[in-house]
Amino acid sequence: MAENSDASEEVLLDCRKICKSYNGPMVLSDVDFSMKRGEIHALVGENGAGKSTLIKIITGVTGRNSGTMVFEGKEIGHDHSRTGAQGLGIAVIYQELSLIHGMTVAQNMFLTKEPRMPVLGIINIRRMNSLAQAMIDRYGFNLKATDVIDGLSIGQRQTVEILKALNGKASLMIMDEPTSSLTSAESAQLFGIIRQLKADGISVLYISHRMEEVFDLSDRVTVLRDGRLVEVLEKERIHPNEIIRLMIGRCLDEKDSKCVMERKGGEVVLDVHGLSSEGKFSDISLQLHAGEVLGIGGLVGSGRTELVRAIYGIDAHDSGSISFQGKPWTPGVSQSIRGGFGFVPEERRLQGIMGGISITGNIGITNLDSIAGKGFVSDRKELALSRKAVGLLNIKPAEPSLPVGNLSGGNQQKVVVGKWLIRDLRLLIVDEPTVGIDIGAKEEMYQTIARLASEGVSVILVSSDLPELTRLSDRILVLRKGRIVKEFAEGAVTEEDVLRASSGILEGGAA
Amino acid sequence: MNLTAAKARQLLKDLRLFFVLILLMAVLSVLSPRFLTLGNLSNVLWSVCIIGIMCSGFIYAPITGGIDLSVGSMAALAGIIANVLMNQVGIPWVPALVITLACGMFIGFINGIVTTKFGVPAFIVTMAAKTYLFGIAMLVSNGDMITIMKPKGFLAIGVGKLFGLPIPIYIMVAVIVASHILLKHTVFGRKAIAVGANEVAAKLSGVDPDRTRIMAYVLSATAATVAGIVMASLTQQAYAANAGGYELDVITAVVVGGTSLMGGSGSVAGALIGAVMVGFINNGLNLLNMPSSFHPLVTGVVILLALLLNQGGKMPKFILSMRKRLGDPGK
Ligand SMILES: Nc1ncnc2c1ncn2[C@@H]1O[C@H](COP(=O)(O)OP(=O)(O)OP(=O)(O)O)[C@@H](O)[C@H]1O
Ligand SMILES: [Mg+2]
Repeated sequence: MAENSDASEEVLLDCRKICKSYNGPMVLSDVDFSMKRGEIHALVGENGAGKSTLIKIITGVTGRNSGTMVFEGKEIGHDHSRTGAQGLGIAVIYQELSLIHGMTVAQNMFLTKEPRMPVLGIINIRRMNSLAQAMIDRYGFNLKATDVIDGLSIGQRQTVEILKALNGKASLMIMDEPTSSLTSAESAQLFGIIRQLKADGISVLYISHRMEEVFDLSDRVTVLRDGRLVEVLEKERIHPNEIIRLMIGRCLDEKDSKCVMERKGGEVVLDVHGLSSEGKFSDISLQLHAGEVLGIGGLVGSGRTELVRAIYGIDAHDSGSISFQGKPWTPGVSQSIRGGFGFVPEERRLQGIMGGISITGNIGITNLDSIAGKGFVSDRKELALSRKAVGLLNIKPAEPSLPVGNLSGGNQQKVVVGKWLIRDLRLLIVDEPTVGIDIGAKEEMYQTIARLASEGVSVILVSSDLPELTRLSDRILVLRKGRIVKEFAEGAVTEEDVLRASSGILEGGAA
Repeated sequence: MNLTAAKARQLLKDLRLFFVLILLMAVLSVLSPRFLTLGNLSNVLWSVCIIGIMCSGFIYAPITGGIDLSVGSMAALAGIIANVLMNQVGIPWVPALVITLACGMFIGFINGIVTTKFGVPAFIVTMAAKTYLFGIAMLVSNGDMITIMKPKGFLAIGVGKLFGLPIPIYIMVAVIVASHILLKHTVFGRKAIAVGANEVAAKLSGVDPDRTRIMAYVLSATAATVAGIVMASLTQQAYAANAGGYELDVITAVVVGGTSLMGGSGSVAGALIGAVMVGFINNGLNLLNMPSSFHPLVTGVVILLALLLNQGGKMPKFILSMRKRLGDPGK
């Protein structure tokens, strides 16, 4: 993959001695970072290591305290947010997609840059559509310029996002955790696109917590730890174990061991019978035993999320019945919480965190029953409880009064999970629980889930991360188009098996 | 984590409002020699009491991410209802006031139900309420200005004194303290903030957003009713346009006091300081013989300045979401 043409040796971006603090401790200290033209460069490090911050400094979203930055031979000032990254030729794709729903692919791609008619500045829709289609075809994407965003899969939306970013004639494309919400088929497609960009001479900088893809894709890897540069690895030294060692400062042992513990056949805790909800899922029956981890696989949109939302009681179902601990159960969020349910939703920022509120406040709100008596909240108990959650998942910085919105993405996710783990649970439902969490913390979270199960807590795990699903689950149900198409009982299940069932064996890996 | 520095910064931020208040007083006392007289200050005190009482309940509307524009009309109507009950129906004043309060609660409940269960934006719902409450007040009072001469017990609320201090001050301090405790130390307060900060996340954590919001509007209307009763007793008058424009004063006080109109944060103590400032500003305009047509302009500018001052570091949600759409992560 590594071409040694002259172009690939040319330095595109050179950052030196970058320092940054958000009025508090140093988040980046003396970080040197450089990119060559046409290379694929991965930026890795633990949660809170400063990856997103470095990217924001490069794109000018946030200013730096000191240090220099040279892009395409030009010195870039401390605050270039005015000219913006696009003005420089840097395209950015943030983890949170920023497309406007209700608009077409072309409208999104050309937002604020619409081609105009010669008179009155009216938008030339026909020209816009044909320009957009030409670009789509050039990259060979399976999209139509006139498709409306709402009908597209997550993977397709990300493609549109990339097209939109490329539309500004970028020479550097930055992606912050682009694959964290993609299925493996969609990720593979994304890697194809990334390689194509490279072939076009565009450099790609991306952040990922998935070591395999860093290994497969990158020409170079920069490792950050606690806001400092640890090392820059050249192609021949890129190896998952080596990267992990540099990231966390030690080796992770037994990474591939199954996390299933010894357990005795517990009684049935949750019995779902013939559950249906129009247009979401139909005729779902499942039993969950005490201390069992039930994995639910399937593609995004297969009805997994809708199913667990119905069980937790967020959305009503049309027919079917649920019984919990042997008694008929009418789902409803408050009953569920009182009954010992915990629920980690799919989308952290929209459904999980209250960004403007402290860690304590976020953790307190789900635990009002244990920190309040007669309507009054005990600040002392609330603080103690949040300290416990912070300690349990090693949330950094370990300062409960910080607004959650100021934490790094992975640490925000730890708060969302942590607020349930300190409760006395009977049933924990987690939907993509480790999105954005670094590899060490992931391991700790797996151990915690396994420990809960061994203590008799039942767990429903929805995940697109197949290694995660196969490692943690005792049993895996695969959903496709709202129905259970396959059940893998205890024993050996491979990721391959789950993938095949998810995508329908006949259709292969169609997304 | 440099905690002491962070704490000092926070304290300075909290005190900033105080400095502004003192500055305002200094300016006014230079501009008008009458400002620092006992007579004038006690005038200000009355309007501060009314605004402060209203703020104590109103504040929950913005905290939960809404607004209540009907508090002024509600207060005026409360005075009229109380008068009808006491002086036309002939009910003794205590039960009459209890019934008046119940009416206020009911109207707040209606506001809450329409906003939550029918999904109409609070802005529209309470704007409509402001109008129809004014309409009811006009109907009941025949559009007259009613002078309230009795009963004595009722009039004592406004003009009576206890240990040398006017009773409205006690009422205001009581409701402000109660509201502060409600916000900072109770389950309801936590829920109100959570709903304002992220409704979906709050719901998934077991908070009932609708019930919390309804409660917020009930509190808002109830506090407005109390304010209306105090006002009627104090001025011995009741008429439909009595508290016209008070909603603007209340919004100003709350915003100046650091409560975000976007939901998720609020300060009752700040609102009280805000109420004092609004009282001074209105008073200053009067002292300087500014025509009353000038007041809305000044109030409007003050709201804008307060918004800029308070939200400089923390962008309102709609700006954040706009920035996000334009390609800024806002993370
Ligand atoms: N707006 C902010 N205000 C204050 N501190 C912040 C802010 N954004 C980030 N930080 C802090 O900066 C540090 C680095 O955060 P950053 O988001 O760069 O981490 P990251 O490497 O991207 O982590 P992750 O893998 O979890 O996304 C963290 O300690 C975080 O708490
Ligand atoms: Mg990040």
